[in-house]
Amino acid sequence: MSAPPPVSAQAQGMTVVARTQAQLVRRRFFRHRAAMSSLLLLVLILLLAVTSIGVGPIPGWWDKPYTGIGPVVDEGRPTLSVVPTFLGGDGLRWGEHPFGQENQGIDYFSLTMRGTQISVMIAFIVGLLGTFIGVAIGALAGYFRGWTETILMRLTDVIIILPLLALVAVLGRVAGNQGPVVLAVVIALFTWTGLARIVRGEFLSLREKEFIEAARAVGTPGHRIIRKHILPNTVGVIIVSATLAIAGAVLLETALSFLGFGVQPPDTSLGRLVSDYETSFATRPWLFWWPGVFILSIALTVNFIGDGLRDAFDPRQNKVRN
Amino acid sequence: MVAFIARRLMISAVLLLVGTFLAYVLIALSGDPLQDLRQDTGPDRENRIAARTELLDLDTPVVLRYFLWLGGAAKCLVPFAGECDLGQSIRGQDVTFLLSGAIGATLRLILVATVMAVFVGVVVGIVTALRQYSRLDYSATLASFVFVSLPLFWFAVLLKQYIAIDVNDWLGDPVVTVGTAVAVGLVTGLAWGGVIGGSRQRTLVSFGIGFVGGAGLLLLLSATGWFDSPGIGPIGVAVMALASAVGLTALLSGFGYRNVLYAALVMAVIGIVANLSLGAVLFDPGWWTLLLLLLLTVAVGVGVGYAMGGLQRRQAVQAAVWTGVLTGFAVVVDRMLSAWDNYAEAVNGRVVPTFGSETPNYDGGFWGNLLDSTTHLALPTLALILVSVATYSRYTRASMLEVMNQDYVRTARSKGLNERTVIIRHAFRNGLIPITTLIAFDVAGLLGGAVVTETVFGWQGMGRLFTTALTEVDPNPAMAFFVVTGAAAVTLNMLADIAYAYLDPRIRVS
Amino acid sequence: MSTPTSEPPATDPRSLGSAGPDPQDVTAGRHAADAGSRRPAHTAVFGERRVGDEELLRVQDLAVDFPTDDGVVKAVRGVSYALHSGEVLGIVGESGSGKSVSSMAVMGLLPRNANISGTITFRGDDLLSMSAAARRSLRGRKIAMIFQDPMTALNPVHTIGSQLAEAVLSHELMPRRAATARAEEALAMVGIPQPRARLKNYPHEFSGGMRQRAIIAMAIINSPDVIIADEPTTALDVTVQTQILETLVEVKDQVGAAIVLITHDLGVVAGVAHRVLVMYAGKAVEMGSTDETYYRARMPYTAGLLGSIPAHDEVVGTRLRPIVGSPPSLIELPTGCSFSPRCPLATERCHSEEPALAGTDDPGHLAACHHWDQLAAVDDPSSFFRTESERAR
Repeated sequence: MSAPPPVSAQAQGMTVVARTQAQLVRRRFFRHRAAMSSLLLLVLILLLAVTSIGVGPIPGWWDKPYTGIGPVVDEGRPTLSVVPTFLGGDGLRWGEHPFGQENQGIDYFSLTMRGTQISVMIAFIVGLLGTFIGVAIGALAGYFRGWTETILMRLTDVIIILPLLALVAVLGRVAGNQGPVVLAVVIALFTWTGLARIVRGEFLSLREKEFIEAARAVGTPGHRIIRKHILPNTVGVIIVSATLAIAGAVLLETALSFLGFGVQPPDTSLGRLVSDYETSFATRPWLFWWPGVFILSIALTVNFIGDGLRDAFDPRQNKVRN
Repeated sequence: MVAFIARRLMISAVLLLVGTFLAYVLIALSGDPLQDLRQDTGPDRENRIAARTELLDLDTPVVLRYFLWLGGAAKCLVPFAGECDLGQSIRGQDVTFLLSGAIGATLRLILVATVMAVFVGVVVGIVTALRQYSRLDYSATLASFVFVSLPLFWFAVLLKQYIAIDVNDWLGDPVVTVGTAVAVGLVTGLAWGGVIGGSRQRTLVSFGIGFVGGAGLLLLLSATGWFDSPGIGPIGVAVMALASAVGLTALLSGFGYRNVLYAALVMAVIGIVANLSLGAVLFDPGWWTLLLLLLLTVAVGVGVGYAMGGLQRRQAVQAAVWTGVLTGFAVVVDRMLSAWDNYAEAVNGRVVPTFGSETPNYDGGFWGNLLDSTTHLALPTLALILVSVATYSRYTRASMLEVMNQDYVRTARSKGLNERTVIIRHAFRNGLIPITTLIAFDVAGLLGGAVVTETVFGWQGMGRLFTTALTEVDPNPAMAFFVVTGAAAVTLNMLADIAYAYLDPRIRVS
Repeated sequence: MSTPTSEPPATDPRSLGSAGPDPQDVTAGRHAADAGSRRPAHTAVFGERRVGDEELLRVQDLAVDFPTDDGVVKAVRGVSYALHSGEVLGIVGESGSGKSVSSMAVMGLLPRNANISGTITFRGDDLLSMSAAARRSLRGRKIAMIFQDPMTALNPVHTIGSQLAEAVLSHELMPRRAATARAEEALAMVGIPQPRARLKNYPHEFSGGMRQRAIIAMAIINSPDVIIADEPTTALDVTVQTQILETLVEVKDQVGAAIVLITHDLGVVAGVAHRVLVMYAGKAVEMGSTDETYYRARMPYTAGLLGSIPAHDEVVGTRLRPIVGSPPSLIELPTGCSFSPRCPLATERCHSEEPALAGTDDPGHLAACHHWDQLAAVDDPSSFFRTESERAR
């Protein structure tokens, strides 16, 4: 059957389409409502986390420190209110301790923001570093084939068959003592396997294409073929994977920290907060809710963004949509 | 095929060897087992250090130590020899002993979670693929996004602290309010309307059926006091048996040629009669008895289908066998629920447990213990499978959609096959192939998840063994976790590869 | 099997009394179909040209739209034709001309979002108003289809035998063994050696040509009245193409079926079709007997297509004469004649007024062109597509 939709693209001719590839991707992404609202929400969360308590020596607009012990006011109940007065609520109010206070009187908003900063930072490092390693290994295996491929792919298989969480947990506690960045690097050492397989697959199919043959025929060196000819064609897959890897890394790090093999005190993370206050659930449930809601929101928005990117890069899936 | 399996076995063995080596080295790097002793100020510090060094061979270089460990572990491959040696824990216990206490609960959890996740995920995936871009599809998509983004540990705590307590409180005085019934009815109505689809009128009718079915059933059960002492009863079993017969016939052959329906119905009747007459056998059976009964059911089903199938013998055999199996399942659930009162009394009415994998010191016979295990599995399984359900349903949906757009599905339609045959014979079979590989990967994820779930729900399983070992810097029990999970993953991968080759003739050749 | 009648009468009874050109004359060109004395030297001729009188399939004013994100795609905009027993009707056009979509509409295999209007009747029964079950029972039993790509049209996980047998079993209750015997017979008919052994093979164990034979076997296994062959040879090796066409025409005569042969390859049609329907941008633009259409094209598009095929007997150094430009977007069609932007004969009128499919100098030969008389005035209609310099030479 001659499928109707491609007709207009055909009429325009291939060169026009190729030139506007990036624009097409951007347009499709911007039209993806779930992804766009997720992006907005994520940016808001990140802005809140960064500007409220500040970063390092730079102070933020929220004055209560995430380490300051103080008197517990009103059993540490949250003062945040969003229910309008005409509905019987307290109106829109931020208050002294919007997220409440924990057992020792530390402001829980500051603590949650600090946890968000650490968790997000780790997730981004893991996502980017893991992507880099995955692309490098996948590209080497897919391009050079032979022994390189066998060894690299068997290594990938080995890591895939072991439970990722357990594998990372083994080194996590040691690395956690060295600070969140080291922890992130250690996690990234084990999270590249999925992408490596995907990139290798892409390379295997691309290296058989005529334009690669042509490049080889004129004597282009291997590293240049990889960089200039193959990688640009896999960029969609890589970006989507990197995004989803970030979402996965948020969940992995928080789970690890929950088990006690991730971020170590005095640092904290969203997972650590859930673990620390799991026992106060019966008396102060908000100590449990806030970090959980933040983890869920971050993971969900990043996943939606990833989905939007996938649709944008690979519109084939939407061909039948009407 | 034999050469294919042999090759897979070889690869699996190599993978497992490298995997355990990697794990061994990582564990050795992860901490010093003598750490706690070095900080010790007691008088016999040196002796204890020396003793532990001796116990764990700490003076041997890591690589060599791995091979010594491997030598012991290799003995596990000799069946029934009892010479399995996975080393000792820092307290001097045999790891195999620790493992034997932990492995059962975890494997049960993983097995149940896998079966449930595959079933639910694949069904949801197929339905959403067939109803692409419907409201049902969008809802399922949204749900799967939430599921994969939900932190497992957080959700598990939530289930434990909220759901379990609420359900237990409710079961103390189980009355369904009209409001609850209406809410449940709305959900079932929307779901049913979405699944059936079709024109607006048909969707509305389906919604009505779903609403009345859901809300009505709930109110009826509440009014009859069913929740006080739930059960199915012989009438319930009979209804389920007949419904399976009709449903399976509709799925497998339709009602155009009646022989298949008759075969399935005969099988259902045999099951109903067996349920009434096998009381003595089923009073307190064992797993072997049940297995034997299952085999018997299959054999009878094949016989009935073969004898009555007529021109559609193949479909009749399938319908009869599956009717028998489903009826058997209903019988098992019925018997298990018959232990409800006894069990509820033993746990003081708190029937949804939040701690451990079984009630300590409870012995309610085979059915009581089965019920006990089942209730203990409920929440951990629910927490554990969310991610997997989302993964399977998304994957199945994508795979089915891809297959449904294939030329050979169009060819099948052009031959005049009905939609049922097109979907089951041509789309489903092909769409299923990539799912087999997914199962193997997903189990590795479930095993990781089990570590978290066991921690939250206080199970004494492999996950707990592992986390305790890591905390105490105890290399050998941690290693045991990797051996078992690695072996499970490798075996499953191999099975998946074989299933793949079985399902896809193109692979078989190479 | 129906016995194909011998040569039809020189004048078709149905066109009697229709004075002058009749745009609704869907049987256009039939009476001249077998009179062809001149045949293109470069095309082969297979089978015997026997056409019966019985009208099997009639498509009237068929239109198909697809709503998409970018607008409504008007894939088919009014196509009418009739197919008689034993006849081979060629439908020719570029991809996107609506030839495949119109035949998928006949099969009832279009996606659910397609809007179909017009009528399609099979032996007088209206297919579009039929119940889904009734349509299904015609599909594969009375109207069968052969697809373009034999590599993907067979299910890789089922054996050839079971895929053939299920085509029988879905319409008739019979023991599987009997259906398998029918499958073996059908494989033998399409010239597959050792059919019994081949039944147990999977599609990947067949070569491309063999697979297409198996697909033809699948189409004829229920002795259908109509076979729709959608580009049956396009995906095949050139050397195999001829054999497959030959097989197709042979078995069609054995089971007494008529064929709608969809192709973009005029050479394929020339050899086997009695009549040709040329489609452009969703419309029928020319219809007539094969010879009429080939030697006396009355629509510049057909002439252009003919001019772009290389011929064996042309002088070395002669250039191919492609039609410049590309087919229009089916979402925003040009006003007037949809071919006018690419047509060397186009005038003001062509850009504003869409010509109807109407009779030409031969009343059985229909064309949708305001200027068909200009084509009639020259010997080689494709010469209009020559460049200035070529024409000067």
